[in-house]
Amino acid sequence: MILLGELSLWVALLMAAWAATAGFAGAYTHRGELIASAQRALYAMCGFVVLAAIGIWTALLKSDFSLAFVASYTSANLPAIYKFTAFWGGQAGSLLFWVLILSIYSAIAVFTGRRSNHALMPWVVPTLAVIALFFTLTIVFGANPYERLGWIPADGRGMNPQLQNPGMAFHPPNLYLGYIATSIPFAYAIAALITRRLDNEWLTSVRRWVLVSWFFNTVGIVAGMWWAYVELGWGGYWAWDPVENASFLPWLVNTAFLHSIMVQEKRGMLRKWNVTLVVSAFLLSILGTFITRSGVISSVHAFAQSSVGYWFLGFLLLSIGAAAWLVTTRLDDLRTQAELESMVSREASFLFNNLLLVGIAFSVLWGTLFPILSEAVTKTKITVGPPFFNQVNVPLGLALLALTGIGPLIAWRRASVANLKRQFTGPVVIGLVTGMLLVALGMRDVYAVIAYTLAGFVLGTIAQEFYKGTRARHRMYDENYAMAFLRLVGRNRRRYGGYIVHVGVVVLFAAFAGLAFKEEFDVTLKGGEKYQAADPYGNEWSFTSQGVSAYEQLNRQTTAVLLEARRNGKPAGVIRTEKRQYVDSNGNPTFQPSTEVGILSGLRQDVYVVLAGVTGEDTAELRVTFNPLVWWVWYGGMIMAVGGLIVMWPQAERRKKQAGYEAVLEPATVGAGGPAES
Amino acid sequence: MVAAGAASAALPGVLGAQQANTGTANVPMNEQKYKPVQLPAKSSTPSMSTAELDELEHHIHCMCGCNLDVFTCRTTDFTCSVSPAMHRDVIALVNGGHSAQEIIDAFVDVYGERVLMEPRKSGFNLTGYITPFAALGGGAALIVALLRRWKRPEGEPAAVQALPVEGTPEEMERLKELLHRDDR
Repeated sequence: MILLGELSLWVALLMAAWAATAGFAGAYTHRGELIASAQRALYAMCGFVVLAAIGIWTALLKSDFSLAFVASYTSANLPAIYKFTAFWGGQAGSLLFWVLILSIYSAIAVFTGRRSNHALMPWVVPTLAVIALFFTLTIVFGANPYERLGWIPADGRGMNPQLQNPGMAFHPPNLYLGYIATSIPFAYAIAALITRRLDNEWLTSVRRWVLVSWFFNTVGIVAGMWWAYVELGWGGYWAWDPVENASFLPWLVNTAFLHSIMVQEKRGMLRKWNVTLVVSAFLLSILGTFITRSGVISSVHAFAQSSVGYWFLGFLLLSIGAAAWLVTTRLDDLRTQAELESMVSREASFLFNNLLLVGIAFSVLWGTLFPILSEAVTKTKITVGPPFFNQVNVPLGLALLALTGIGPLIAWRRASVANLKRQFTGPVVIGLVTGMLLVALGMRDVYAVIAYTLAGFVLGTIAQEFYKGTRARHRMYDENYAMAFLRLVGRNRRRYGGYIVHVGVVVLFAAFAGLAFKEEFDVTLKGGEKYQAADPYGNEWSFTSQGVSAYEQLNRQTTAVLLEARRNGKPAGVIRTEKRQYVDSNGNPTFQPSTEVGILSGLRQDVYVVLAGVTGEDTAELRVTFNPLVWWVWYGGMIMAVGGLIVMWPQAERRKKQAGYEAVLEPATVGAGGPAES
Repeated sequence: MVAAGAASAALPGVLGAQQANTGTANVPMNEQKYKPVQLPAKSSTPSMSTAELDELEHHIHCMCGCNLDVFTCRTTDFTCSVSPAMHRDVIALVNGGHSAQEIIDAFVDVYGERVLMEPRKSGFNLTGYITPFAALGGGAALIVALLRRWKRPEGEPAAVQALPVEGTPEEMERLKELLHRDDR
């Protein structure tokens, strides 16, 4: 199987090369047999890449240490699940994983779009094939997971302990699924630009793929936040690390597109802008990959430095050049007759929504790359850490939160004063009451007060939309309220799924604002000693050390501390925090010791304890943190994902008709002098 | 620093190159980067409380090679010897009566600006803070200009793009009637 996989990788390379060559030649010369051959080559490439991937998985699970990749990232005693996930744990395997997803996506896109996008598909196929060719070339000649060692070590190096977490099974695959899905809209955009078929048709196909990308990116980012929080031990879930930022950029641009596409659909405006967003999302995915793999910027997540990063830089520059040339030479085709009836309209608010989303993307990219720029200009190295990103992005984020509430309340085309008053009065009152209540209760952090005020306002707008829709159905169809609510969502999935996503966004912002009240304590405790501290809610906590213990487990040596926690004198639970030294199958240590955080979770806050060190026999150095509202980050992410699924779910034609008004013109019989019988 | 272990040491260079030995922050550590930061004491009274000292350490970058600040690194990664050493320097400076700004300046003098978790708002680095807002302001101005250009003057009827409609006279009549019924 391993040999078959290795051979399959080479055949996949040839298939990608043929699909690109025959595809472009066929599309250019309009030769049907070449176009069909390119499509078949793309399907075949998918099959061979799957075989190549199975070959690597087989080698990993069998611990075939003759392969450098297997020996570098696994050991014989590594649990099977992590042997499986090691596939994307290292440079070479993760590139193959990338091609695996890309080829499966490509096959699905070509198969499902071959009829509905007959005119564009001849150019979509070779564009996808070029992307696949680049990745396959990079794997075969730059980072090949089938590279042999020439000798067989007794055991492998093992997996970095921080990767031995369930997050490894969720975070990277989802992020990859999100990143790589941007390739399909990019291919459609390139095809639309080449053929100059830049009407709304190509966008219909693209929207679904952008949603796929957005959905997986959302799940991947939130899963990564959870993983960082429970595994790394620094007490937070987002550190504005360059690679975190790289994953955030396509998400922001995709989110902007999912709003601005509505303006093009409804009003035919923003064609240039939408093409630019689709292309940018793909380019930012490649930029993110370059940042992760080049080592050009220091990052928590970076793969070991290698020349592969510069392959990506070359590909990125080539893609930017090609896309820029196509857009600039098609400006006339992208021109639309834009006309606005009022400055106070939904389309105007979406423009500002896009400005903020792209503005945040720009500021994140700017902050990520600024150390390089600053060093080039001033010849001095600097650090751009979380304080910088928070200063710049918190105000922008709050403005975006406000627009999340404002946008859906403003009518398309023109909003009258009466309409604005009717729509805004309730939500504004809810927001202001929330803010005033919090100030009265003693909240003094300005950003937090603004965040919760806006959260109240936005939730008010969403609740109002659901209430009005449900009541209308209840009256029109005599449905009970529960049924009316379910049918309202089910039959207007795009609109109400979007509102559910907005609820998730509000929950996330509320959770982020909770961090303003985080409390940290640096604690030294001997066995039997007690530490007392107050949490942000004013509760008195005590933590009594049950002592330090050391023992061996499956593939590690563990040093653990148990703390008995009491809140206001009542038992709240036992918190266990560990340091783990992983060992290979011979009992020799691998890597540095890693942290296992102790977390006492609750809806209001987490008590987060990290064992920073042990002095003497029984003295633990600990950091105790009260982290308010952390669980709401995960809930917010889940709500967003559910909303995204509702939006993505295919709407049956029959239901589409029921969702809105539809005038059906029955065919008339010519000369009959009246309507035909229906 | 704990060694990566005999097994990994025994493996050839090709393996070592692929998966770097890492600390908690998962980036290669360089503990030779510690440099003492000392100033003559100004007084025998500490200049700030422990909580303020912890807050100050959140603004000083640990120089072990991780991306964390001194407080977070020393309370997270017990394999790092750089952050505890930097912490000891901060304590000594605080006990010597130096203000937060003086301590920050002393660290910058020794390590350079990269010891700060965020660049100073001066010189070229000021552009780092201004540019995102300037770009946003420029974008907002552009949008307002576009909206004004796109906006139809008050009272002027909407320009409706004439689309070719094919239908028999009877169909057109029925269409008219349907549209008219909608208006009522």
